[in-house]
Amino acid sequence: MAARVLQQCVRSFARPSLRLCTRNVAVRATATPAVFIHRPLSFAAESPRTRLFGQSRISVGVFCRQYGDLPPLTLETIKERVMYVLKLYDKINPEKLQTSSHFMKDLGLDSLDQVEIIMAMEDEFGFEIPDAEAEKLMTPEEIVQYIADKKDVYE
Amino acid sequence: MASAFLTHQQKVLRLYKKSLRHLESWCVFRDKYRFYACLLRARFDENKNEKDMVKATLMLKAGEEEFWTNQHPQPYIFPDSPGGTSYERYECYKVPDWVLDYWHPSEKTMYPDYFSKREQWKKLRMQSWDREVAQLEAETLPGGPRTEALPPARKEGDLPPLWWQDVTRPRERPT
Repeated sequence: MAARVLQQCVRSFARPSLRLCTRNVAVRATATPAVFIHRPLSFAAESPRTRLFGQSRISVGVFCRQYGDLPPLTLETIKERVMYVLKLYDKINPEKLQTSSHFMKDLGLDSLDQVEIIMAMEDEFGFEIPDAEAEKLMTPEEIVQYIADKKDVYE
Repeated sequence: MASAFLTHQQKVLRLYKKSLRHLESWCVFRDKYRFYACLLRARFDENKNEKDMVKATLMLKAGEEEFWTNQHPQPYIFPDSPGGTSYERYECYKVPDWVLDYWHPSEKTMYPDYFSKREQWKKLRMQSWDREVAQLEAETLPGGPRTEALPPARKEGDLPPLWWQDVTRPRERPT
């Protein structure tokens, strides 16, 4: 009997459910310290099997690495995000905003406002736009082209 | 920018931007940052219509000194900017473009549009190279170049110097 229980234990330990086993064993161990010596293996053998049938498991047949990264940028998504950030700015009228509207001539903004807009774009896309190139970006279309140039989108 | 000197407006705008970034590093919570950013913007706005340049430069100097005393010791630097965590991290994986000449023809047929025109581009580069070098030699100062910025093309029908490096640059994130 002990040999069978040991076999089931080894099989359950070999599966990637080690966390549940050890946690359960630890919980049971703290709860019943006197019984720990006699029945730790049976608890470990039963509980993972009864628990894991209800859960869904990721079965990785072929080993593959899974990296984390943002979804790839496209021109449309860049344009949508730029227009969204601009519409949130309170000095711009959302109805009058177009991709070709000049900040200073059409929308009546200041150079300080343009600096704030460029800073909002930097925060949105996560990379810095140097001052020398930032002072030339005066329409949303230019901003989209600059970001697409920097991020190699549809080059 | 034509010359290497900044105009007064450019200096004020750069001071505004870096003071906002350091303020953002100091005030971590967004609503607090927004409040102090609006106060800073009001301070810039009340002096923006100053016509006397002497007074304006004195105010700019005072502003720069105030920025220096109040700057953050470890400001937030974007990962891809100089000083950031990811700056030049992928430089070693960027492949120069002459490697494309060593591709096997079977590989080149996978991108027929590009490779059909590549020879013409290379011929154009051969032709304009001497003119680019001549322009750079004429325009560099005797002590050597001061900045990495390249001058634009001055004559009609000329290409900007070292345009090939910019046109065939590798991707920002080579995979």
